[in-house]
Amino acid sequence: MARNSTARRLDETAPAAPGKRLEFGGGEPPAPPVRPNRPIGSNAWLATLMFLGAEAMFFAGLIGAFIVFRVGSAIWPPPFQPRLPVGITGVNTVILVFSAVTMHAALRSVRAGATARVSRMLAVTAVLGGVFLLIQGYEWAQLIHFGLTVSSSVYGGLFYTLIGFHALHVAGALIWLALVFIQAKSGRFSKQQHTGLRICVMYWTFVVALWPILYGLVYLY
Amino acid sequence: MLRWLPEDVSTYGHEIDSLFYLIYYITAATFILVTVLMVVFLVMYRERPGRRAIYSHGNTTLEIIWTIIPAAILIVLSFMSVNTWAKLKSEVPPSDFAIQVTAKQFNWDVFYPGPDGKLGTQDDIRFDNDVHVPVNKVVHIHLTASDVIHSFFIPNLRFKQDAVPGRTVTGWFEATKPGRYELPCAELCGFGHSGMKGWLHVHNAEDYAKWAAENLASKQQ
Amino acid sequence: MSQTVAAGATHAVHGHHEELGFWRTYIFSMDHKMIGRQFLFLGLFMLIIGGLLAMMVRWQLAWPETPVPGLSAIPEPYMYEGIIPPQTYNALFTMHATIMIFFVVMPIMVGCYGNFLIPLMIGTRDMAFPLLNMLSFWVGAVAGVIMLSSFFVVGGPAAAGWTGYATLSAKAAYTGVGMGQNLWIISLLVLGISSLMGSINYITTIVNMRAPGMTYFRMPLTVWSLFVTAILLLLALPVLTAALAMLLFDRTLGTSFFLPEGGGQPLLWQHMFWFFGHPEVYILVLPAMGVTSDLLSTFSRKPIFGYHAMAFSMIAIAFLSWIVWGHHMFISGMNPLLGTAFMMTTMVIAVPSAIKVFNWLGTLWGGNIRLTSPMLFALGFVSNFLIGGLSGIFMASTPVDIFIHDTYYIVAHFHYVVAGIIFALFAAVYYWFPKMFGRMMSEPLGKIHFALTYLFFNLTFFPMHFLGVGGHMRRIYNPTQYEFLQPLQDWNVFITISALLLGLSQVPFLINFIWSLFGGKKAERNPWQANTLEWSAPTPPPHGNFEVQPTVYRGPYEYSSPEVKEDWLPQDKPLAKGAAVRGH
Repeated sequence: MARNSTARRLDETAPAAPGKRLEFGGGEPPAPPVRPNRPIGSNAWLATLMFLGAEAMFFAGLIGAFIVFRVGSAIWPPPFQPRLPVGITGVNTVILVFSAVTMHAALRSVRAGATARVSRMLAVTAVLGGVFLLIQGYEWAQLIHFGLTVSSSVYGGLFYTLIGFHALHVAGALIWLALVFIQAKSGRFSKQQHTGLRICVMYWTFVVALWPILYGLVYLY
Repeated sequence: MLRWLPEDVSTYGHEIDSLFYLIYYITAATFILVTVLMVVFLVMYRERPGRRAIYSHGNTTLEIIWTIIPAAILIVLSFMSVNTWAKLKSEVPPSDFAIQVTAKQFNWDVFYPGPDGKLGTQDDIRFDNDVHVPVNKVVHIHLTASDVIHSFFIPNLRFKQDAVPGRTVTGWFEATKPGRYELPCAELCGFGHSGMKGWLHVHNAEDYAKWAAENLASKQQ
Repeated sequence: MSQTVAAGATHAVHGHHEELGFWRTYIFSMDHKMIGRQFLFLGLFMLIIGGLLAMMVRWQLAWPETPVPGLSAIPEPYMYEGIIPPQTYNALFTMHATIMIFFVVMPIMVGCYGNFLIPLMIGTRDMAFPLLNMLSFWVGAVAGVIMLSSFFVVGGPAAAGWTGYATLSAKAAYTGVGMGQNLWIISLLVLGISSLMGSINYITTIVNMRAPGMTYFRMPLTVWSLFVTAILLLLALPVLTAALAMLLFDRTLGTSFFLPEGGGQPLLWQHMFWFFGHPEVYILVLPAMGVTSDLLSTFSRKPIFGYHAMAFSMIAIAFLSWIVWGHHMFISGMNPLLGTAFMMTTMVIAVPSAIKVFNWLGTLWGGNIRLTSPMLFALGFVSNFLIGGLSGIFMASTPVDIFIHDTYYIVAHFHYVVAGIIFALFAAVYYWFPKMFGRMMSEPLGKIHFALTYLFFNLTFFPMHFLGVGGHMRRIYNPTQYEFLQPLQDWNVFITISALLLGLSQVPFLINFIWSLFGGKKAERNPWQANTLEWSAPTPPPHGNFEVQPTVYRGPYEYSSPEVKEDWLPQDKPLAKGAAVRGH
C-alpha cells in the first residue's frame, strides 16, 4: 500500500520554501485571506464511491440487457429450461445480507475502539461470504447437471453472466476482505485511522446490496 | 451542393428533399454569418501595439438571445421533421402489393407470393437481387435478414431500411417513374458488402403485367 | 511501494525531492507530468499508424484494386502484390477508427492533457493517486499493444467496423476474423480499466485537491471540460464493458445474446454500444472545447465571453448526451415514436454547442488577437466544429437521416467533429510544449503546419458531403461497382489526393516537434503571458510542481484587467488594494 503518497493533501501545510518567492508574488501580502478548499472526504473514500458508481453502471448495462429479454419474451423462463432454485437461494440471500450486518459491526467496532472485535467480525463476514459462494457453486453444478448452460438459451447465458459477474465480485470482495483481515490482525486500524477498513466495508455493502436486486430480477421476476 | 442528390422518383422523396434544402439554407446562412464575423473580428481586432482588449466578461442579454434563437429554429425544424417522419413511418398507406426481401451475405433474396397468394409460405417465388414493381402503386416490403444486418437502400426513392436478422420490418414506397434503379446494401455486412447490390425495376402497368405473366403466373400454376 | 532507488542511479532531471533512477523517472514514473508525456508519445505514435491506415483506405477508394505503392511486401492473403482485398479493406477502416478514437484522441486529450494540466491548473503537487495514475498509463499501453498485435494474428484484425455491430461481430464465420476480433474486444476491455483508473483519479483530484481560493468557478474551462469528461468516462465506459463482455461470450462461450438463432437481439448491441458511444463522442470533444476556450481567451487578451454559460453548457451536454443515443439507429427499425423522441433530444443538444460557438465569437470580439500557432489551431478547431455541428442538424432530422444515414455525409460530419479535434490537439501541443519540455516550438514551422493542415483538411473532408448527398455509402470497398456513383468518382480521387497531402502536411509538425525537443529556444516561465496557474510553476515544472503553494485570488481569464498595467493578471498574483476578489 502506498502510504507515502507523493501527493500531499492540500490541507496539510506546504513545506516552507524560505527565501523563494514566486515570480509574480512580490509586494504586499494578499489582502483578504483566501479560504482553502476543504476536501469533501478522504481521497480514498471519494475514489471508492466513484468506483462503485462505475460498477453500478456496469451492472446497469447487464441488468438492462436482462430486462430487454425478459420484457420481450411471453414465456419466462423459456420452455424446456430448468427452473432456478428459488428457496435455497432465498436462504443464501439472507446469509449474504447478514454478512453486511456483521461487516458494519466491524466498522462500528473500530469506531468504538474495540480492535479485537473487529477482526472477529471480519472473520464472521468472510465465512458468511464464503458460504454464499459455496452454495452458489453447488447450485451451478446442479443447474449444469440439469442442462442449463450458457449456450442452452439466452436465459442460461443471462443467468450465468449476471450471477457469475456478481459471484466474481463477491470473490474479489472476499480477497480484499482477507487482506483487510490480515491488516486488522496486525493492528493497522485504530479509532482514528481505519480508511482501509472503511472502503472495504463500502465495497462489501455494494456487493451485498446488489444481490437482492439480482435475486429479485433473475429468480423471482 | 445538393445538385448531387440522385433524381427523386418517389411520392415522398420531395418532402425529404425539401427538409434537406431547408436545413441546408439555414445551416449555410449560419455558417456564413459565423465565419464572416470570425474573419472580421480576426482582422479588426488583430494585435496592434498599444491597443488594449475590451475588458468584458460577457453580456447576458446577448447570450440569452443566441440561446433562444437557435433553440427556436431547432424546435421548429423538429416539428417539421416529425410530420414527415410520421407520414413515412406511422401512416403507412394500405396496399395489396407486398413482397418480401430477405438479405443474406451477399444477396437480396426477393420473394413474390406463390399460388396461394400469400407471402412467407413454401411456394413463394424467389428472385436474386431483382425487384420488379409497378409504377404508381404503393409497395410494401417485408424486410428481414438471415445472417447479419444489411440495409436496403434505394437512393432514388429516398428509401433506406435496415434488414435485421430475427425480425421483420415493413417499409413502403411508391415509385413515380418507370426505370431501373440501383439497390445497394448500406450497412457493413462483411467482406462482400461492397458489390452487394441489386436492381429495382419500376415498370409501367402494361410492362409489369407482362413481366408478371412471364415470371410469376407461369410459376403460379 | 518501496522507496528504494536503483543502485547506481545517476542524476534525475526532475528529482528535486528525491533522486529517482532512470526507470522510475522515465518509464514507471508516478509523476503526473511524466505520465502525461508518456500518453502524448503513445498517442502521437498511434496517430501515425491510424493516419497511414486511412491513407490506404483512401488509396483503395480513389484507385480501386490497384497496387498501393510500397506495400508489395505484405504477404497474401492480407495484400495481393500491393492490392488491398475487401477483407483487408474492412480491417483497415475498422482499425483506423478504433485507433484514432481510443488510442489517439483519448490518450492525448484526456490522458496526456488531463494528467499534465489538472494538477498544474488547480495548483496542486500531483494527482490524488500517483500509483493508480502510473497503472492507468501502463494498462492503457498494454491495451494498445493488444490492439496492434491483432494485425499479426491469423485472419487479421477486427473487420466489423469500429461500432462492431452484432451479428457481424458476434460470429467469426460472418467476417472471417477469429482471433483479431477477440483481441479487439479484449483490448477495449483492458482500455476500459485504464480509463476507469484515470477518471477516478481526475475527479478525486479536482474535487479534493484544488489550491486555496480555487473555487469551482475559478477553474479554467480546460479543467472543467476534463472534469465533465472524467465523469462521462466513469459512467459510460462500464456500459461498453458490459456489452463487450457479452459479445466476447457470444464469440467464445457459445451464448447468444446478440444472435437471433439462439433467441438473441442484434439491436441490443446497438443500444448498449451507443448508450456508451454518444457520451464517448463528447468525451472526445469536450476537452477540445475546453482547451479552445482557454486559448481563445489567452490570445485575444480578453476574458472568455460568458464563463458560466461555457461551464454550464458543458454540464448540459454531459447530461443530454445520455439520452440521444437512439439517433444512431433511426433506420434500424426502431419504433417511430422512439425515433421522434430521440430527434427532439438530439436537436436540444445542439443548443449548448451553439452557445459555445457564439461565446467563442464573443471572446474574439474586441480582443487584441495574437495569431500564434496555438491560436491558429484553436481557431481552426472552432471553424471545423462549426461545420461539423451544423452538418449534424441534417442527421438529427429523422426524414433527412433516412437518406444520409450510412453515407459519406455521416463520414464528413464526424470527421469534422472528431478529426477536427486534431486541431485542438495540435493547439494544445504548441501551447503547452514549452511547459512540458522547457523549450519553444518553432512559430514559422507551426504556421506552415497550420496553413497546410487547415487547407487539406477541408479539401479532404468537405467534398465528402457531396459524396454523401450523392448517396455514396460508407464502408464500401469499391465505389466503381455502382452505376449511380460513377459521376462521383472524380471526387473520390480529389479527396484521396487531398488526404495524402494532408498526411504530408504533418511532416513540418514532426520536424518541429522533434527538433524543438532538443534544439528549441529555451522557454521562459510564462511565454504566452497567460493567467492560469501552470504558468506560475517553473518551466518545466519540477517534481512537486510549485515552489510554494499557490493561492488563487481570481478567475482564470482576467486579461486586460484595468487593475494592472500589463494585459494579463495571473490567478495567483496578489493585488495590494483589497481588489483581489474580482471575476467569478
